[in-house]
Amino acid sequence: MLMPKRVKHRKCQKGRIRGNASRGNTVAFGDFGLQALEMGRVTARQIEAGRVATSHFLQREGRVYLRIFPHIPISTKPLETRMGKGKGEPEYWAAMVKPGTIIYEIGGVGEDIAKKALLRVAHKLPVKTRFVARRHSV
Amino acid sequence: MEIATVQGEKRQLAGHHGNERLRRRGFVPAVIYGHGQPVEYASVSLHDLRLALDHRAHVVKVLTDGQEEQYLLKGVQYDHLQQTPLHVDLMRVDLTEQVHVKVAIEYRGTPKGCAAGGVLVTILSDLEIECELLNIPESIRIRVDHLELNQTLHVRDVQFPPGIVTKHAADDIVAVVQPPRVHAEAVAGAVVEGAAAVEPEIIGKGPKETEESAGGE
Repeated sequence: MLMPKRVKHRKCQKGRIRGNASRGNTVAFGDFGLQALEMGRVTARQIEAGRVATSHFLQREGRVYLRIFPHIPISTKPLETRMGKGKGEPEYWAAMVKPGTIIYEIGGVGEDIAKKALLRVAHKLPVKTRFVARRHSV
Repeated sequence: MEIATVQGEKRQLAGHHGNERLRRRGFVPAVIYGHGQPVEYASVSLHDLRLALDHRAHVVKVLTDGQEEQYLLKGVQYDHLQQTPLHVDLMRVDLTEQVHVKVAIEYRGTPKGCAAGGVLVTILSDLEIECELLNIPESIRIRVDHLELNQTLHVRDVQFPPGIVTKHAADDIVAVVQPPRVHAEAVAGAVVEGAAAVEPEIIGKGPKETEESAGGE
């Protein structure tokens, strides 16, 4: 699963996801993409599940691009532990997603195949998404 | 080249609130500049603009107070979902003027290398070209069916219609047929499996110190 190789701090604060995506919101590498319509945390496990779903569906055809990376360590407290005694240990990694963020991209396949593949991915994600095609610039 | 007609009007209300009011009425704020003349502020119909953009129009005819003028669509600003135009830049142009625009590439055919298991990776989706205003093509069609596995198509290999010059370097890569990527679990910067057990190295501390601090807490 995806996680950073090196980090500055083992744990980080929870933070809040505010606003809309002002970068990473256009299809940049492939021909079609999956765009988040709401904010949320996408875990490394969910990203990997989506990647596996597309590669199974596409059968070595086309190319899948991941546009998000799980940078944020999420810590949890063990079960049946009283409150206090410090912050829990990092349990998994997640990516913060804002409305507009392109999560996956697909290139080298037709629109109907890309749509079917990305619909499978959409079912694995904790945020609402929509299928988008690359827009040609003016 | 298609010249789309767009309903427009002079813009009186400037600033954020004025523009928001315009957008609620179904208009998009626009700015008109070029040819050393003073900048004008206008607004154009969102419906007409969308139709023009869907048809990949580069030149629009704006109808303002019964007058008709042609402008080059120089830039369009979209919302965060890249769905709704928020603002448009229009440039004054003459019909015989040389203009610099981006034109979509249409890839035609299936590369030979795809039969051998390759994937066509398109590096460029638009080409920057310079041509006369009335000669702007809707798209540039590029045949890729001759490409073998690991073969690259450069800008110098592209046949442009007469009167069109590209602004790209001749060595720029347009498309390449690559062998399928064996998805090593690691995309850049990734570590394989057992994510909970393996912890990343902490910058500023050596790997040993990192282990100690993780165990100590």
